[in-house]
Amino acid sequence: MTTTNLNPSSPPSRRRFLAGMGAAGALAALSGCGTSAGSARTEVTFYETKPEAIPYFTGLAKNFTSSQERIRVIHDASSSLSASFVRRNPPDLGCLNYNLEMARFMERGALSDLSDMPATSRMRPNVQQLVNQYAIYPGRTSVLPYSVAAASVIYNKRIFAEHNLSVPATWEDMIEVCEKLTAAGVTPIYSTFRDPWTVAQGLFDYTVGGMVDVAAFYDRMDELGTEVGPQSDVSFQKTLLQPVTRMMKLAGYSNKDAPARGYGEGNTAMAHGKAAMYMQGPWAFGEIAKAGTDVDLGTFPLPMTDDPADRKVRVNIDLSLWIPEMSTVKEEARKFLSFLMQPKIQNAYNKEFLAFGTTKDAPPATDPRIAQMQDYYDKGRFYMGASQFIPRTIPAENYIQAIANGASIEGTLRRLDQDWARLAFRQ
Amino acid sequence: MSNTTTPATPRDQSTPKHGGKNRRDRANWPITIVLIVASLTVLVPLYVTVSMSLKTTEQAVSGNAFSLPWPINFSSFAQAWAMTDFPRAFTISVLVTVATVAGTIVLASLASYAIVRNWDRRLFRWSFFYLLATMFLPFPVVALPQIKLTGIVGLDNPAGVALLHIMFQLSFSILLYTAFLRSIPDELEESAKLDGASTWQTFWKLIFPLLAPMSATVGIFAFLISWNDFMMPSLITSDPSLQTLPVLQNIFQTQFSNSYNVAFASYLMAMAPAIIVYLFTQRWVMSGVTQGAIK
Repeated sequence: MTTTNLNPSSPPSRRRFLAGMGAAGALAALSGCGTSAGSARTEVTFYETKPEAIPYFTGLAKNFTSSQERIRVIHDASSSLSASFVRRNPPDLGCLNYNLEMARFMERGALSDLSDMPATSRMRPNVQQLVNQYAIYPGRTSVLPYSVAAASVIYNKRIFAEHNLSVPATWEDMIEVCEKLTAAGVTPIYSTFRDPWTVAQGLFDYTVGGMVDVAAFYDRMDELGTEVGPQSDVSFQKTLLQPVTRMMKLAGYSNKDAPARGYGEGNTAMAHGKAAMYMQGPWAFGEIAKAGTDVDLGTFPLPMTDDPADRKVRVNIDLSLWIPEMSTVKEEARKFLSFLMQPKIQNAYNKEFLAFGTTKDAPPATDPRIAQMQDYYDKGRFYMGASQFIPRTIPAENYIQAIANGASIEGTLRRLDQDWARLAFRQ
Repeated sequence: MSNTTTPATPRDQSTPKHGGKNRRDRANWPITIVLIVASLTVLVPLYVTVSMSLKTTEQAVSGNAFSLPWPINFSSFAQAWAMTDFPRAFTISVLVTVATVAGTIVLASLASYAIVRNWDRRLFRWSFFYLLATMFLPFPVVALPQIKLTGIVGLDNPAGVALLHIMFQLSFSILLYTAFLRSIPDELEESAKLDGASTWQTFWKLIFPLLAPMSATVGIFAFLISWNDFMMPSLITSDPSLQTLPVLQNIFQTQFSNSYNVAFASYLMAMAPAIIVYLFTQRWVMSGVTQGAIK
């Protein structure tokens, strides 16, 4: 701009000058603040985005930073994870939900091996095993589960006591409970069909997990790939037909306005005792508590068969720790990982956020809302949600929502099979 | 509704459905009702935003969004302020937006001027079509290459975001400017040239001031796009301490949790500049829009 011809008789235009300076100044200022004040400490980026736990982990990062002289931990709660891997500067330590999407990073070897960490040997084997259900990278322990969320039917203890109901142990008991509640004019189950994920992670996962060996089912489905169809030995339309049919039986005991209700309304309704049961995970407890009512809640695994021994709880890896292969400060990140894995810190987190510990020495959960699931968790009577094994490319949640709202069960499951086979063909 | 030369007809005398030459003297009730309903679509959400931000968490999840916040509670603002590190995030958002607005206005007006005055040359004509074609390329399509590119050249920061905002605003702004520039007669420039002005001076002393209403329109569009953008800063900026406000606000609402009162308090604070800018510039926006439409 400055090199262009200027007529000497005219002073430089003020507007032009300001515009130029403004643009240049703004850009310079923006790029200038990229570098932080120089110090001898190595910076470790810690990625954790679970909203309710952000202040908690920011505090831990501060404590760790002040406890030694060499490392400064920076808590990142807002970046885009995929973008950072694409840019080749991922966070140095990740602490987030472990799911199929995250497994893709692990499967491709983007996460470093943690098997030599002392913390790894303290893991419960059946919990560490959960990681491998989505995908494995041979010879590595890439992901350390930090906390496990166990989910089952949330029920209002007071309503159950008022109607002399005990926690059902078999499918028939369950139907009886629903019938009795209906007869007494109480809504048995509060459903929120407007939010597709609530149907998938609630009714669908509980009913399928209670009847089908989820991990084995998807192992076989992955093997079959393009072969999945009406003739294959397992398929959505065959294996899941009975659970989903039972799911619709239960859905019939829902509040009448379920199709128009979402997650937020469900939590409010449960807080005010509007229904006896609610198919949600422990994450809902925090939201229900926001209403400030004195509702007394507990949990029980949904019985799906006639054998009480078949009851299981749904689990997911609420938080897991991993260190990317691309990180340039792996040693420092490992130090912070060991800090987080100290029993007193890990157990305190799990206690506060209603989750279960992942180590052999973790104390049992004491909160009355989830304590009833401890026994199932200890005995390994758990499964990961069936809806969580379906890649996001297939709109499974929406299909399940459609079933809940009255679409054909056979037709929709057949469509899921077709989508599964088509996706397998593409890959 | 406005004053006209026709003698004012008393309103009670005329029936609303009666059309004809006196129409402008009377309130047009059907249109007024439509306008009232239309304005409700803005006012109702605004009311919910304001009242939610003044509620306590318990009131916010009571299941009634329209209830009055009583007792009024300002702590959500303090919480939102602390959680987003508001002053820092706000400053970054402002810097990105100012750079975008200034850059878009300067670059787009210069480019449009060159294109319109050289329309008979193929290079300029085709560059115009080329720029227009980019309107059909939304950011998500090129997101991954852009992330890689900005990462390689060290622009994975707000400066890169501002640069990309300018690039993506360019095509639409040039479209607006060129339409407007064609309505400015060549004779004006010829007389300036006769007085000895160079092309550069003609542009800055004559054309750019004439473009002011259109610059206001272009500026407002650039402002809104840049201020409200979520996706680009969230993907491009790698340092979390340099993140813009809309991205940081994302922490208030996830699949599993809502903090309506804190979220709305934060939204309100983020909305304020947009409303203030619009209040002061709406005159130019409206005139700019019509001037672009009628040549």
